[in-house]
This record gives sequence, structure tokens and C-alpha cells, in this order.
Amino acid sequence: MKNLKTLYLILILAFLYVPILALMILSFNESKSMAVWSGFSTKWYEEMFSNTLIMEAVWNTFTIALISAAVATIIGTAACIGIQAMRKKTENAIMALNNIPLLNADIVTGISLMMTFLVFGISLSYGTVLLSHITFCLPYVILSVMPKFKQLTGNTYEAALDLGATPWQAFYKVIIPEIKPGIMSGFLLSFTMSVDDFVITHFTRGAGINTISTMIYSQVKVGIRPTLFALSTIIFVVVLIVLVASNMAGNSTNPKVQKGVTAFTTGFVVVLLAGTLVFSGIAGGSGGKEVHVYSYGDYIDPALIEEFEEETGITVVMDTFDTAEEMYPVVKNESVTYDVICTSDYMLEKLMEEDLLAELDYSGIPNIDNMDKRYLELAEGFDPGNKYAVPHTWGSLGILYNTKVIPEGEITSWNDLWKDKYKGRIVMPDSMRDTMAIALKAKGYSLNTTKEAEIAEAIDYLIQQKPLVYKYANDSARDLILGGACDIAVVWNGEVLYTQEENPDLAYVIPKEGSEHFTDAWAMPAAAKHKDAGLAWINFMLEKQTAEVNFDYLTYSIPNVAVIEMNKDNPANMGVLFPPDAVLTKCEALKNLGSEVDDMYTEYWKKFKS
Amino acid sequence: MSRKSLASPFLLWIACGTVIPLAVIAFYGFTDRSGTFTWDNILAIFSPEHAQALGLSLLLAAISTVICFLLAFPLALILKDSKLGQKGFMIFIFILPMWMNFLLRTMAWQVLLEKSGPINAILTGIGLPAMEIINTPAAIVLGMVYDFLPFMVLPIYNTLVKIDPHVIEAAYDLGATKKRVLFDILLPLSVPGIASGVTMVFVPALTTFVISNMLGGGKIHLIGNIIEQEFTTSANWNLGSGLSLVMMIFIVLSMAALSKLDKDGEGSLL
Repeated sequence: MKNLKTLYLILILAFLYVPILALMILSFNESKSMAVWSGFSTKWYEEMFSNTLIMEAVWNTFTIALISAAVATIIGTAACIGIQAMRKKTENAIMALNNIPLLNADIVTGISLMMTFLVFGISLSYGTVLLSHITFCLPYVILSVMPKFKQLTGNTYEAALDLGATPWQAFYKVIIPEIKPGIMSGFLLSFTMSVDDFVITHFTRGAGINTISTMIYSQVKVGIRPTLFALSTIIFVVVLIVLVASNMAGNSTNPKVQKGVTAFTTGFVVVLLAGTLVFSGIAGGSGGKEVHVYSYGDYIDPALIEEFEEETGITVVMDTFDTAEEMYPVVKNESVTYDVICTSDYMLEKLMEEDLLAELDYSGIPNIDNMDKRYLELAEGFDPGNKYAVPHTWGSLGILYNTKVIPEGEITSWNDLWKDKYKGRIVMPDSMRDTMAIALKAKGYSLNTTKEAEIAEAIDYLIQQKPLVYKYANDSARDLILGGACDIAVVWNGEVLYTQEENPDLAYVIPKEGSEHFTDAWAMPAAAKHKDAGLAWINFMLEKQTAEVNFDYLTYSIPNVAVIEMNKDNPANMGVLFPPDAVLTKCEALKNLGSEVDDMYTEYWKKFKS
Repeated sequence: MSRKSLASPFLLWIACGTVIPLAVIAFYGFTDRSGTFTWDNILAIFSPEHAQALGLSLLLAAISTVICFLLAFPLALILKDSKLGQKGFMIFIFILPMWMNFLLRTMAWQVLLEKSGPINAILTGIGLPAMEIINTPAAIVLGMVYDFLPFMVLPIYNTLVKIDPHVIEAAYDLGATKKRVLFDILLPLSVPGIASGVTMVFVPALTTFVISNMLGGGKIHLIGNIIEQEFTTSANWNLGSGLSLVMMIFIVLSMAALSKLDKDGEGSLL
């Protein structure tokens, strides 16, 4: 019986801690893939400390947690004193209100706060996150402190007053020591909840404000980098040390040991917090000329940002977004003004139509000559005359498959993805327009169709395919095929070279019906405040060396002559990165279809999703 | 200065941070884009895609809650009797995982459960059949149980340790079997903790969108996912608010049940 109990305990503990162990191990993985172990390395730890975006997120997370826990503790403790003096009925009513944020769903708390801020004209920012965190921390403080008041022994407060203490003295010397454990646990619990929160921050954060959680969530969608595992491992280990030390202090009966351990723990935490704050403060510090850049997350080698700063003396303030749709209202409402943005073709087209972009002054971008002419031409599809945008990356959708299982050449068409024999081995994208593009192309329609009948047919076709699909995933498709979870994955060409390096048995094909291609490009919002700095940034992006470094980092096609030069001796790579004209001409870029057609797509998409 | 006034910053905060936002949700839920009153956003729950998502969410949340209870009750009993069950240690082992980011912890299951992931490697290694639960509702249930188990264990543990040991001794003295002690004493006396635990697991499980996003492979849409999308991608606040109001009916129901079963707030998390 005893053994059985121990076994049960061990199993539960394993259940709780195995995932944490797995993440710690992955933080030392040489490979960026989660599915392959390719050797021990500490490179993610080094990358983490030099990544200003991560350091900023760390700064935000801990300052928000510290301030909101402190404010909540003060307001909450004061409130407990006040509530104590009230009638029982009032007290019960207040406690019921207090329980609402605690028991309510995070998502409801998050969206209700977000709507309230916006309704009252408060634009989302760091401050709104802070206010929201204080709101959800308060109930924890009340719940921790209130019971301590109930346990107060007799009338010590009145006794102190009788003995001549002032009310403040009586409170400070008599009450505080007794409720201190409650205050401490309220503070620590608030701090923990604030650091661990994702949902409420997700809804109430302003553009460019990231905490560790929101940063992780945005990376989950675009393929997470192990730097975040490294960061979390460090945080976890630090907290583990602190908790073990304070537990030791609590269990020891020797007051000297207690004091020593407490002093050590406090010192350790103070030094660490100060270190983080100073370090991330330096990383985020500014002075002199600035350029405000707004781009998809993880789209530039962070080393290049430092290089640009050194070369030009301009400080880069970088904000990122996950989807073009998320960026659009920010640029449109100018809630934050940016000097350069990097986003996708169809969104740039929409911004142009609404006069939200500035024409580029090419005299400030002499490096435009490094851009391959073919891709500038392609960019004219959304930007005639290349007036507003300069390509950053180019990509096309294709099928990656494992030739160990499926003979090379067997897959040539999108319709192959509907074959029963591949059941459970296919990974499709999870993005409305991209997924529908596949079905539309398979049926021989344009992926920008506005005909309801064609859209309906495509959706029916996708529904028919659903049982064959292992998973709908975006960039994590590469890990699934590398790990052997699937044998066929629809991926962007930028994922191909990197996955083939890990597993040479993978083959890539752009289906014969043609495919979707995209250009992500740099442009300047009409409201830009530092246009010169913005042009300097774009020019720097077009430098040959920058393009090479970025290509190594991203492995996406960067249509720079230097990158083409790098790959020209490798026909297989060229086929993936810069496909021949015969293939290119069958590909289409997504077009902005207008809100009516968009709604129609969304309607049908929901039908497919349910 | 009266002592009561010390509570005023808090009351103001509750008014602005809880009461007004709920009113805003209600306002949006009962109006359309032009601001005129409508029932449409509420009735939208009956359209097949929304009703299915809500049904599935209720089902998965209920299963997760039951599993959490079945795992947590014996665990709390064991911890209560063992030396390990000191309060500091309990909080230590169950709060500590929260310091590894919740999203990453959930994502770790993606890696562990993958068809050719470590767990299956071990299973097939010892001659057992591989599990294929990733991207199915089962994986989502697992994620929910994993993320919310501490919220079931702590309140149950806290009520169990408050039970007067003499009561149990008395029962044994009077000839009760172990089984009877369990069902007639321990279980009924820990009802406040169980009720609190059930609420604290059921509500987040019902409303999650992160777990279904990460472990459902984009195939499974829960009501949380639909609401999240109304706010982030479709930008239809009215519909999103309406669906949230419907979802809140279930939250309020479970809160009401809780306050009935746990009148004195005994089964608190702390």
C-alpha cells in the first residue's frame, strides 16, 4: 500500500514536470527544430542575451508584474481593513464582486477590459496591460489577506490604543506583524499570476508591447525559436533556487540559518532583478536619431540591427506583429507612428489604395541596384512602378514530401493531397486564404476568385479532404515532417532548404496547377516622422552583405543579386528559391478582394472549420 | 478618516475594472454594429457551427474536470497523511510549474505526444502500441488536465487538512471500515474544496482557446477559439460579446453552485 502511494505520487510529479524537463533539454538543442536532437549547444542562450526584443519582453514582463503586484497589495490590504469595519451584509456583497474576476474566464476579462479601454478612448499600451493586471491581481490579495484579519487574536488593537499607542502605531506594531504572511503570499501570488498570464495581456496590450507570454504565442504561430526555451529555463531555475532556499529557511529551527538563507535569497533576487532591469534597460535604451521599424516577428537577423546602429548611429526601435491584419489598424489609426514597415503584398496594396504610404525617394536607396530585376517586376503586380515598396523576401507555396515513403516524382499535383492512400500523413496550412488557395488551384480556379460557386466548391473539396489531414499547421509543418509525424506537408519555399539540411530525403515540388506566391516588402507610412532614417534602413536591407546574413538566418528567398550569386551553383536550391519563369507564370499572388468578398470567404471558412 | 474609507480605492477599482467592463460586454452583446438593440448575437449560438463548438467545449471541460477530480482526490489524501504534505511543500510543487511559461508547458506536450515523439518511442520500445492522440480531442483533454490539475489539488488538500483527526479516529473506534470513512466522512467533509476545485478547473477549461489551438492541430474549434477570432481576425465585437454572454451563463451557474456548496470560502486555493 505504501509503495503504491509512493508510485502514485511519483507518477503525478512526472506528469507535472516531464514537459518542463523536455523544454529544458530542448533549450540546449543545436537544431532549431523541436523534433530533432542534433547535439548539445549553448548558442540559444547567447542569442537570447543579444536579442533586444527578448530583453524588452523580459523587462515588460517583470516591471508589469512588480508594479501590478505592489499596487494590488497596497490597495487590497487597505481594502481589507476597510471591509472589516463594514456590516456583514456589505462585506458579503463586496466579496462576491471580488470573486468575479477570479472565477470569470480570462478571455471574458480580457475582452471586456479591451473594449472598455477602447470605448473610453484609451488606446492600448503598456499602461492598459498594467491596469488590467492590477485588476486581476486584486482578488488574490484580498483572498490572502482577509483570512488573516479574521484570525486576529482578540482585541489587541484596542489594547494597544488603551496602552497609549496612536492608531497608526497600533496598526503598524500590532496588526501588520500578524497579517504579514497574508500580505506576502498575496504579493507573491499576484506576481506569479501576472508573469504567467497570457490571455488578458493578449487582448489588452498595445502595438509593439510584448511580454514573454505574448512573444511565445506569436512565435508559436511562425515557428518557435529555442531562445525562448532558454529564457524560460533560466527563469525557472532562478525561481527554483529561491523557493528551495526560502523553504530551507522556513524549515530550519536555527535562527542564524534562517537569517542567512533569507538574506541570501533576498540578495540573490535583488541582484538578479536589478541585473535584468539594467541589462534590458540598456538594450532598450535610446538617444539621438531613431528609426521606428514595424515588421513581422523574427524576420531579420537581430545581429543586423546592431550592425545598422553601429554603422549609422541611428537607434532602431523595433516592433513586431504576427499577421498583416493586426498591423493594419495600427498604421491606419496612427496609434503609433512608424518610419518603415515590412508586410505582405495584398496588405501593401490596401494601404496604397487608402493613401497610407509615402512614395519612396530612391536617391536615398542607391542599393536598389542590388535587387534582382525579375522580382522588382513581380512586385509591380501590387505596386506599379515600384513607387512605394521594396521587396524583402519572396516565397511560394509548395509540397514537401518524404521520398523514403513516397517515391520521388509521385506527387505533382495539388489533387494528390486528396488521395486516400496518404490518409493521416498530410499537413495542410491553417490560414484561410492560403488553405483555400490550394483547393481553388486544385480545381483550376484563380485563387483570387470572387465567384461564390467556386468558393463553395473549394470549401466542399476541403471538407472532403479533412479526414485525410493529420494537422492544419502553419510554419510548424517543418517540425512535423522532420519528426516523421507526417510525410507530406504544404510549406513555404523558405522552409525547404533548412528542412532538407536536416533530412536530405525530403523533396519539394510546386504543383503543376501553379501556386500562390507572395512578396513581403519594405514601405514607408505616410505619417513617418524620420523619413531619412527610414530610407537608410531600407538601403541597409538591400546591401549585399545584409542580404547574405539575412538569407542565412531566414533561409527565405531574398531577391538580392548577392543571394542569387551564393546559390547559383546549386540547381536544386535555385529551383526552390528562385523557380524558373515557366513555373512562376502559373503562380498568383493574393489580391485584396474588398470587405464584401472577404466576408464571403470568412463565412465559408467557418463552415469548413466547424 | 474612517476605516471604511480605506476600501474606497478598491471599490473604485472594482467598479471600473469589473462592473463597467461587464456592462460594456452586455451592451455590445445586445446591439448590432449600428448600435440598435438586437437578439441576433445571442441567438447566433444556435447556428450549427457555434452550437457544436459550445457542445464540444462543455463536453471536454466536463471530462477534464472529472479526470482532474479522480486524480486529485487520492493525491490530496496521500499528501495529507505523508510527511511531504507540509503546506510550504504543497504550494512549492504545484506553484513551481507556473514559472515555466504556461504556453511553453502546453507546447511541450505537442513535442512529447507527436506520432514519433518521445512518449511513443518509449511505448513502442517496451512493446506497447503507440498512442495517436495528438491533434484529437483527447490531446486537448490531456492539456486541460495538465494545466489545471493544481487548481483541483490545492483546494481539496486545504479542506482535507482542516478535518479534525478525532472525527476520523472516532469513526474507526466505532467500527467503520476504511471505505466507510472515505465515503461517509472524508468525501462529504471535503465538499467545499471539491466544489471550489471543480469551478476552478471547469471554467478555464470551458473557455480556453490556447490549449485547443496548440494541441488540436487546427482541427478542433472550441467556443473560446470562436470568440477569440471574432475579436482578433473577424473584428466583430458584437457577435463575440454575444457569444461571451452565452458562455457566461455556464460560468455563473458554476459560480452559483460553488457559493452554495462552499458557503464559508473554506475551499480556497490558499
